[in-house]
Amino acid sequence: MKNLDINQLLAARITERQDNLYRLAFSYVKNQEDALDIVQESIRKALVSSNKIKDVSSIDSWLYKIIVRTALDVLRKKKKLTVADDETIEYLRRGEEDHYPDLDLQKALEGLSLKYRTIVVLRFFEDLKLEEIAEVLEENVSTVKTRLYKALQLLRTKMTEQGETKRWKKN
Amino acid sequence: MEKELMNLRDEYLQTPIPKELKDVVQAALNEKPKKKPRLGRNILMSAAAALLIMTASVNVSPAAAKAMSEIPYMEKVIKVITFVEWKEEDNNSSAVIRTPAILGLENEQLENSLNDKYLSESKQLYKEFTDSMSKLKEGEKGDLSVESGYSILTDNETILSVQRYTERISASSSTESQFDTVDKKNEVLLTLNSLFKDDRYLQVISNNIKEQMKQQMAANPDTIYWVGNDDVSAFKSIDEKQSFYINKDGKLVIAFDSFEVSPGYMGEVEFIIPTNVISGLLVGDQYIH
Repeated sequence: MKNLDINQLLAARITERQDNLYRLAFSYVKNQEDALDIVQESIRKALVSSNKIKDVSSIDSWLYKIIVRTALDVLRKKKKLTVADDETIEYLRRGEEDHYPDLDLQKALEGLSLKYRTIVVLRFFEDLKLEEIAEVLEENVSTVKTRLYKALQLLRTKMTEQGETKRWKKN
Repeated sequence: MEKELMNLRDEYLQTPIPKELKDVVQAALNEKPKKKPRLGRNILMSAAAALLIMTASVNVSPAAAKAMSEIPYMEKVIKVITFVEWKEEDNNSSAVIRTPAILGLENEQLENSLNDKYLSESKQLYKEFTDSMSKLKEGEKGDLSVESGYSILTDNETILSVQRYTERISASSSTESQFDTVDKKNEVLLTLNSLFKDDRYLQVISNNIKEQMKQQMAANPDTIYWVGNDDVSAFKSIDEKQSFYINKDGKLVIAFDSFEVSPGYMGEVEFIIPTNVISGLLVGDQYIH
């Protein structure tokens, strides 16, 4: 039975990739509670519409797509500034001591609009191919390519700005 | 820049994974989809609820019991009241087992056999639970919960159908139900075989269920049944021990446990068999019409 196979496969993929799905959700909301909610809600959505999976090999990007959409929904509903909890602050502080330059990049990344940030996260952190990102975002590959290029350009600009502000403050 | 991104990636990959994630994922995978409330079911539920309230007040207050027994017809009605209730809570686990007792049947033997059956089974269930509890106490960690109870599906002049359910929750949850239907007038417990002339009904009902499954799946893409010819685990046929009850419209209802014919998220499923499909095979139209 085709449906049975799909559902079993889906459950297996979800179980196997749960950490990745959680991390992606967390990268949007920056707190554990919401990230867990997003994962839960996404699995619900996935199970209900598993019959929409056309190509078994694209289950992963399909799952990422659901996570991204659910996360955006949550952010839209909250419409609040990202508030970091103690854990995150601690985490960032630790990062500050260990890898100073990366924090600048992290800040720059946080400063990007979601449209660009998603692409950077999927491309560099989740190691998705451009084709897969195109599937997740339902855009064509050249749009994704352009947007990624633009995102990197923005990051560079932001980091240069930050660097200059810092030098200016020091003087 | 690319190198810095790679460093940032390492940090991203170190996003702390909460230990709850596993449970959340498993729970979501095993979840039943939200069912749209159905009017018929609601009426049935409120009828059952009313009966439970009555039962409760009879049990709690002797005065209420006396008052009710003075209402005309009341003593003639077969009453299902909560007979025994066990409760045990320990650490993370809990068990609530309600044993229905059917009173008012004149045929002592049937009444006894029904009650004994409920009782021994509920005791068995409780024993299973205490066994697994002692295992848990020996050091194994886990959250386990058993809830068991019953609902009255049909209670009219001739027929009483009772559903007993057992829900086990331990990481994932599963529900099993057992159905009993008794003829109150003749005081017999109905079996599928006793309703039909011969075993042709097995195939006829199975075919009807398969048709219904296919129709439902075509109408709603979220509905999935394991039906087909090519699959080993697909639904093929009911047997004479298949769970069933007779609903208040006098229709035969075939019931399946969760996971029996469909993915877990579909929950327990039921099929109402149109009477005209089986009317030629029935012994009589007293129960099913």
